[in-house]
Amino acid sequence: MSTVNVSHQVLYSLKNVKKHYPIKGGIFKTVKNHVKAVDGISLDIYKGETLGVVGESGCGKSTLGRTILGLESATEGEMVFKGENISTKSQRQLKPFKREMQMIFQDPYASLNPKQQIGQAIEEALIIHTDLSSAERREKVVQLLKEVGLKEEHYERYPHEFSGGQRQRIGIARAIAINPSFIVCDEPVSALDVSVQAQVIMLLEDLQKKHGLTYLFVSHDLGVVRHLCDRVLVMYLGQMVELAPVERLYENPLHPYTEALISAIPRPVVGQRRERIRLKGDLPSPADPPAGCAFHTRCPLATELCRAERPEWREVEEGHFAACHYR
Amino acid sequence: MPAETATKELILPAKKKEWEIGRIFKRLIKNKAAVIGLIIIILQIVLAVFAPAFAAHNPVKQDLSLAELPPGTDGHWLGTDNYGRDMWSRLVYGARISLFVGIGAVALGLAGGITLGLLSGYYRKLDGIIMRFVDLLFAFPGILLAMLIIAILGTSLLNVVIAISIWSIPTCARIVRGSVLSVKKQEYILAMKSLGASDTRILIKHILPNCMAPIIVFATMRMATAILSTASLSFLGLGAQPPTPEWGAMISAGQDFMWTSPHMIVIPGIAIMCVVFAFNVVGDALRDALDPGMNLEN
Repeated sequence: MSTVNVSHQVLYSLKNVKKHYPIKGGIFKTVKNHVKAVDGISLDIYKGETLGVVGESGCGKSTLGRTILGLESATEGEMVFKGENISTKSQRQLKPFKREMQMIFQDPYASLNPKQQIGQAIEEALIIHTDLSSAERREKVVQLLKEVGLKEEHYERYPHEFSGGQRQRIGIARAIAINPSFIVCDEPVSALDVSVQAQVIMLLEDLQKKHGLTYLFVSHDLGVVRHLCDRVLVMYLGQMVELAPVERLYENPLHPYTEALISAIPRPVVGQRRERIRLKGDLPSPADPPAGCAFHTRCPLATELCRAERPEWREVEEGHFAACHYR
Repeated sequence: MPAETATKELILPAKKKEWEIGRIFKRLIKNKAAVIGLIIIILQIVLAVFAPAFAAHNPVKQDLSLAELPPGTDGHWLGTDNYGRDMWSRLVYGARISLFVGIGAVALGLAGGITLGLLSGYYRKLDGIIMRFVDLLFAFPGILLAMLIIAILGTSLLNVVIAISIWSIPTCARIVRGSVLSVKKQEYILAMKSLGASDTRILIKHILPNCMAPIIVFATMRMATAILSTASLSFLGLGAQPPTPEWGAMISAGQDFMWTSPHMIVIPGIAIMCVVFAFNVVGDALRDALDPGMNLEN
């Protein structure tokens, strides 16, 4: 774990960030409703930490990652990166910030241009953001290839000639090419074999130590998150459910949703069984989230209060936040 | 996590380098019709490029004493036309013209069509405007549109090229737009955006190369149409003017002698047919070869 590097210097601060997608319908394409993909996220990301974001499919964790990178414009809210509010900046003004923030994608097959040599794919970042000559760029790319465990002779190869793990390494090399300080990892290992997953995770850890990187690690694999992250944010229907340092979240989950998620982790210990909490019903539509607490339709503890009132986001114990009336 | 156990880097050697063009070509020549088509196209290109070497006579030199000789005559193996011009020499120089018109019209049409297609596929705001303009071009029947353009610009071979290229633009723009719409949703385009790449860079370096397959097929097929349309326009008297040895114009000139010297229309007719056939089958075969989902073994 990379706890050693974590400082208490805020790198990226989010205040009530929302991303709503309009649903258009009818003859005149009027806006009928909104899909509330990200609905009010407020948190500080500290320099050097790995913040995990977990939740089931469709809870808005990937959208959150894209929004804070400026790939999607936020509908509402304030995003302060290194002291500057970037939520109001245009794409052109964002360019210097894009140098600081990068992304590693989920699907290593779809995230590389099939018609481009991988050396050129990595070089692209250098062409956009630096004034290096082509010889210097080539040298830097070769160095990056070696850093992620590939070889110089791979430079002229095309993506289809590589395995999934190798492609993910190429994606990582492209992301770190311009020395960013913040990287959003959007489920970077969920498309890989378990043995390859371990290698890629170790690579991410090494790079973090070496370059002092801050990660936002989006995942649905709670085992990987426990291994890699310092703090974990649990999301449900675009909202924050719980945020805590990783061990405290796994040992003492406060929110019933987190409890259910954690109880679903397979345990390798024979004989020791923990009650598995099974959630009933489906995930409600993010276009029409339930009133009150968004989780009340599936919550075993739900009462009238939950149906009527949205629970407050509060710090239950130091550094451990949750949104539940009863915890 | 098994991370601790996997301390040694396990990296497979990358597969042997393979050239994509070579692979497509291998798939292409499995199709026998395509091989015949390719031979015809290569033959036309060779004839066109080295026309002076192949032609035994000046294609426009008249000698009325040798008029309407049938094919097989000594010194004029394909015979002569009503002005005594050598048919073989005219055919060879005609190959030059049809190749020029084909390549020129397709290149111009692609330039316009690709630009419009890229813009309308990528920018949603331009999409409506460009596509309505394209619809406008689609509303005219092809030959009519070409005739209209020639009526405005005047009759000449160059204007035929322009007319046919304008006629190719709407189809090409539609094809490119469709490909752009699917390619721009790919994650590698998002990756480029997150790197801060400009739109021009994304369009030219990342979207266009991934839209090439349908464009190549369209260009090949359109060559056949362009050659055929030039012949049609010349036949109607709107394209190449006499004494230019254009195949369509040769047929047009030969109509009056159809019963006495049928070779005057049959020979250029066969030439047009062969070339159009060749480009069509090669286009078909290319479409199959470029589609990795097709199983060519069966």
